[in-house]
Amino acid sequence: MRPTVKGRIAIFQPQGFLDGNNAPSFLTVDDIRATEALNVDMLLVSLKKVIFFNKNGLDVFVRLLDNVRNKNHITVGLCDYDHAKFKTITAFYGGGLNFSLFRTEKIAELFAPTNKSDSKTVLIYNEDPSQRSAMAIELFDYGHNPIIAQTQKEFEEKKQNADLYYAIIEDSYLGLFGQKIATRVTGNAIIYTIANFLDAEVTNTFNIAYHMNSLNVGFRLFIFDAYKVVSMNVHALNFFTKLASSAAEYNATICFVGLTFEKTPESFKHDMEDVGILFFEQMEDILKNKKLLQDLGGSSSSSKQTRAITKALINELPNFIDATVSTISMMTNTTATKNSVNIQHLEVTMAQNKYASSIGFYGDVDGIIILIFPKKIAQKTCALLIGEETDDEEAILDSLAEFVNIIGGRAKALLAEKKQRVDITLPRTYGKVDSLMDMVQNKKGVQVNLDFEGSQFTFFLTR
Amino acid sequence: MITQEQISLYIQNIPATPSVIRQTLDHVRNGDLIKAAKCAEEDPALKLYLRTLINRPIYGFRNEVSSLSQIFGILGTSSAQQILYNYLMSLLVPKEWGLFSLTHQAFFDLQASFSRKWEMILKHLNLLTHENESAITLLPASIIVCDALFGAHKKEVEQLRSVKALDYNTILQRLSGQSLFDLCSVIAEKWEMPSSIAHTVHAASGTDGNIGEEVKTLAKWMHLLLFYELSRSPFVEAGLNELIDFKIEFVQDIYESFTQVVGYDETNG
Repeated sequence: MRPTVKGRIAIFQPQGFLDGNNAPSFLTVDDIRATEALNVDMLLVSLKKVIFFNKNGLDVFVRLLDNVRNKNHITVGLCDYDHAKFKTITAFYGGGLNFSLFRTEKIAELFAPTNKSDSKTVLIYNEDPSQRSAMAIELFDYGHNPIIAQTQKEFEEKKQNADLYYAIIEDSYLGLFGQKIATRVTGNAIIYTIANFLDAEVTNTFNIAYHMNSLNVGFRLFIFDAYKVVSMNVHALNFFTKLASSAAEYNATICFVGLTFEKTPESFKHDMEDVGILFFEQMEDILKNKKLLQDLGGSSSSSKQTRAITKALINELPNFIDATVSTISMMTNTTATKNSVNIQHLEVTMAQNKYASSIGFYGDVDGIIILIFPKKIAQKTCALLIGEETDDEEAILDSLAEFVNIIGGRAKALLAEKKQRVDITLPRTYGKVDSLMDMVQNKKGVQVNLDFEGSQFTFFLTR
Repeated sequence: MITQEQISLYIQNIPATPSVIRQTLDHVRNGDLIKAAKCAEEDPALKLYLRTLINRPIYGFRNEVSSLSQIFGILGTSSAQQILYNYLMSLLVPKEWGLFSLTHQAFFDLQASFSRKWEMILKHLNLLTHENESAITLLPASIIVCDALFGAHKKEVEQLRSVKALDYNTILQRLSGQSLFDLCSVIAEKWEMPSSIAHTVHAASGTDGNIGEEVKTLAKWMHLLLFYELSRSPFVEAGLNELIDFKIEFVQDIYESFTQVVGYDETNG
């Protein structure tokens, strides 16, 4: 069984009965290996469609998930269960519960380290005060606004006003967490949250692939939220100076906020300043200062640096187009015809009636695939994923992200057949094409106009 | 990926019930097992199927049973009808499975296991009739149809499933407006099976509204039986766990009784 991947969360979805006899068939070592290659932040097993499970069955999963966490420093656990199942799981494992439990997928998404969503207000309750605090701290680090209910009574009262909260977190548990450095996007700045004592382990917990990709797609301001850093050693110092040097190649800025030098040698600060790292006392000093934000490169994610499209990339173009066309054909049961292929700046007509999505890939070759859909085609394309044609823009954009993820996956597979290894980025969607145009304004690429049942669809490949 | 034309073509190519089978079934329905045995003699493939089946360990005969009249006598009218339908279904089994990693043996084991447990269930429910007993024979048609339609699109489905947990039945329904269970009903009609069989199997999808109490009861038990079997290791490994969407809420109230009837050991493994 292979997992579904949304954002950077992979979820296995077994159905039916789960016991020690069949659990190894649901999750094989091959499945785990294939999932590890997806570079996810969180790996979960959904119990939504499991009518019965016993401890022998869960033990098989837990062992496999444990190995993944130890090897990849990601969060692992179970999700999508009701209160009765939660009670059963906690009874099975008691104090030895070292994996995480998220009552719903939506709750799990809040705890994903690479968080691209806006700040959400959530209500938390757990009988165990340390769990309540741990959840609140994690959520706060990811840029959310956690409200803790201190008692069951208070929780029940607050729950009455469910509309006030994006999610109500109960029957959930944070086990040994993934220890990946939390990442969030605020405007056009990327904020990493670091804590405690920083040593060589930071090279494992920092998602360097995500960082490089962010540079590639045009982010220019990276802020380390270091309020909770106690100290760092020379290995961590080396890591940050190298990071700053590579950022300089992209004209990007790295800032540290809230870092004190009481237990860290003052000389480290000078070393870091020498490579261009800036220090601020408060996050607001940057985020609330528009002029400074602009100077630091955090006011727009558009890339000032234009990178020429390469021959290697053009060679792959027919494959990428085929992958796109066949995916749309699969999802709409229609066929496409190619109208024109040109090397040019992106040109979009009737932009107001269109949605766009993009996905980047980086590795042996790198580039960005951009797709621009007439809204009608987008609705039709997403109907297979949603279950019906809908006008709900959020649902359509969500499905477009899944759709472009399929294309990214196909592009990755096609390149792998030619021994070219690439990773794909998280997909981005644009409800307004103008915001996409900001991002690609200086980029030349290959524009392919396709016709699907009389509607024009644009494919654009750039770097 | 899958168009209405492809589905129509597939249905067109489903063979009609061979005349020998139809006549044999008529005799069985009329309770004339001697005539049924005589009629079945004319089809060597059917003869071989019945002999192989009756001599499997599950029937527990020490000496080989080879005479068709003996076989029909052992089976009785209900089981004979069920086995003739199973034979009909076996004619649809592809030479090579394209989508599911199944062998013929594994498929026939699944058929046999369905039949055996379904009989236990019907006895428990006190609903053991010829038609109810035969209803289970149509259920595996969903697997055969699914394999035939999606076999050439395995990679595309894998890619689709990599972003959304969609079962084959849902994908087919969203693409073509027809579910696997709709196609089972078409097969039942083509094979002139009693309409109650098609209704029961269709309701076993767990999505039919407005069904009578008896059909609803049978549908719940069939739905849970399907997932009980599709949770077994060989079928999980074959990819069958993703055949349809399991509706827990549809079967939750019969779960306890079901595990007792089929003898599920909750301490397994």
